[in-house]
Amino acid sequence: MSILNRNIIISFVITVVLISTVVYAINYLNQKRVAELSTIENQLSTETLSVETQYALLENAPCENFTQGSSTEDTLLSQEVSDIGDKLSYTEDKLGIKDPQVVQLKNQYTLLEIRDYILTQQLAKTCHLNPTVVLYFYTNSGECKDTCDRASYALSYLRQTYPSIRVYSFDYNLNLGALKTLEQVEKIQPQFPAFVINHKQYYGFTNLTDFQKNFPASLFATSTAATSTKATKK
Amino acid sequence: MSLEVLTYPFLFVAIFFEVFLLVTFLSAPAKTRRAQTLSTKTPNIAIIVPCWNEEHTIKGTVDSLLALDYPQENLTIVLVDDGSTDGTAKVMDTFIGTPQVTVIHKENGGKHSAVNLGIEMSPQAEFVGCLDADSFVAPDALREIIGYFDDPKVGAVTAAMSVHEPKLWIEKMQHADYIHGITLRHVISSLNGLYVTPGPFSFYRRDMILSVGGFHKGHNTEDLEMALRMQRAGFLIENAPRARVYTKTPKSIPALIKQRTRWTTGFLRNVIYDYNDMIGNPKFGTLGIIMLPLGLLANVSGILMFVVIIAQFIINIVKRYTITSGVPLSYTLMPHFTEFSWFYVPLTALLVLSVFTLTCGVAIMLLGKKISKTPGDLFIGIVTYLFLYGFIAPFWLIRSAYDLFTGTRRAWR
Repeated sequence: MSILNRNIIISFVITVVLISTVVYAINYLNQKRVAELSTIENQLSTETLSVETQYALLENAPCENFTQGSSTEDTLLSQEVSDIGDKLSYTEDKLGIKDPQVVQLKNQYTLLEIRDYILTQQLAKTCHLNPTVVLYFYTNSGECKDTCDRASYALSYLRQTYPSIRVYSFDYNLNLGALKTLEQVEKIQPQFPAFVINHKQYYGFTNLTDFQKNFPASLFATSTAATSTKATKK
Repeated sequence: MSLEVLTYPFLFVAIFFEVFLLVTFLSAPAKTRRAQTLSTKTPNIAIIVPCWNEEHTIKGTVDSLLALDYPQENLTIVLVDDGSTDGTAKVMDTFIGTPQVTVIHKENGGKHSAVNLGIEMSPQAEFVGCLDADSFVAPDALREIIGYFDDPKVGAVTAAMSVHEPKLWIEKMQHADYIHGITLRHVISSLNGLYVTPGPFSFYRRDMILSVGGFHKGHNTEDLEMALRMQRAGFLIENAPRARVYTKTPKSIPALIKQRTRWTTGFLRNVIYDYNDMIGNPKFGTLGIIMLPLGLLANVSGILMFVVIIAQFIINIVKRYTITSGVPLSYTLMPHFTEFSWFYVPLTALLVLSVFTLTCGVAIMLLGKKISKTPGDLFIGIVTYLFLYGFIAPFWLIRSAYDLFTGTRRAWR
């Protein structure tokens, strides 16, 4: 065999091995990301149970322990939910929206959100609180891609600027029984983006100024303490 | 589908080629060449310096030739003024009377005609060399070269080019590019794959040049056309990696684009129009299987990857603007980091492989500097090469493709 042919074969093999190794390593890194998400998810499940127990214990406690805008947010699913939301969104970008592990994690995350939403509602009812709660339904399909991205960004801005707003974002097409029930309960039509702001439905998004008109005017006059989940699409 | 996917096949080829270079660098033929010692033979040599409007550099060029470590009686320097319109002729005439120097004035007919006249006027020479009038040679360069002609199949030997006293960033960037070329020529010549014998200090067996019919215009790249003709005729083209020659390079981006457009268009026209039978032809070994196909592919990939990057950049900007419009700019511009975590390290296969490709490129440059023993610092050259070359090169590639498809013919300068 000539040196030329030998070197071509050696170089080709090295190139294939090199590229395969890099692709494998990157894939492995992505799997590690998912693994980390799973770990955090397990921790959150435990924490959620803890919070539920905490609420059960405090059910008969005076409502002064839950003054709006302070200890409510601190005792509910807090910053960790927000962090996992960020990571889940990042992983979804990397692995794709159809990746089975991503879908599974989104299901679990959605359950956590719904649970937190229910607890918030119960607390508000018991203690006569009036938090501004936004349920945000989006879809990753082409019909809403750009508009939903804009709506997500606007919600992130509002949530960060006005911390008393609580935002729960849901992928409408996620095949999860609890989510379907929530959609039925809130009477969500398949028009996106869809919002439920303090129990009233709104559809579509044009711009931030018009969107803000759907919120209580008093909200923008003052701002309160910390909040929970982010508005980024998960 | 992301536009980035389009770049993967080209990235594969780029990595393959760089690995091929490094593997061949470590192979016996290249090692043998690096071990070659200075020749003690002193055959009769003629060095032809074709000149057109080089009044500022011609003196330095001739002085460097006169300083060559070679017996005066066996070295003739033939200065051919190709109808210069500046003071070149006057400067050249100052060498009349210098025993080794012959000065010839002729009407402008193109570089190839000046070289052919010089060859014709040097019947005593066994070997003839060319040196562009904006280039300067190291004293031992000729002795480094001449030993390669011991093999009677060798028709030409090329030198190790770099930039003469690079000061501007654009000169330093080209210096890094030329140093990269030193390794490339050294490695590829060890498998006889060279397709150009550059104007700065390439040497030829005189009877070989005459047998293949002398220099042609060759689409304004007479050195490339001659190399292809030699390869087709079965001659070998060698490279002497320690035969240092320093050349002047363009000092502005438009001038660089103009020069490289001429080179690239010359390559495309010669290969596609006149030597297409060699493309992919195993008969021509490394040249036919590797260099010509990949040379053509490099032009396509250079344009495509540039277009993909620009398109992706514009798409991202438009998308970002669309998403953030209406939200106060103060929020958009504010950093939104929550924490630093390995989780968010944006590693992709494309990024890692691109970095690997660039790292190999830098390694090849450092090897070029080492094997040629080229003096000077390369740091700024490498940095500018890595960050700017890829954004300038597409302009001459696009321009060359335009010239090729439209039949546009441009002036030499």
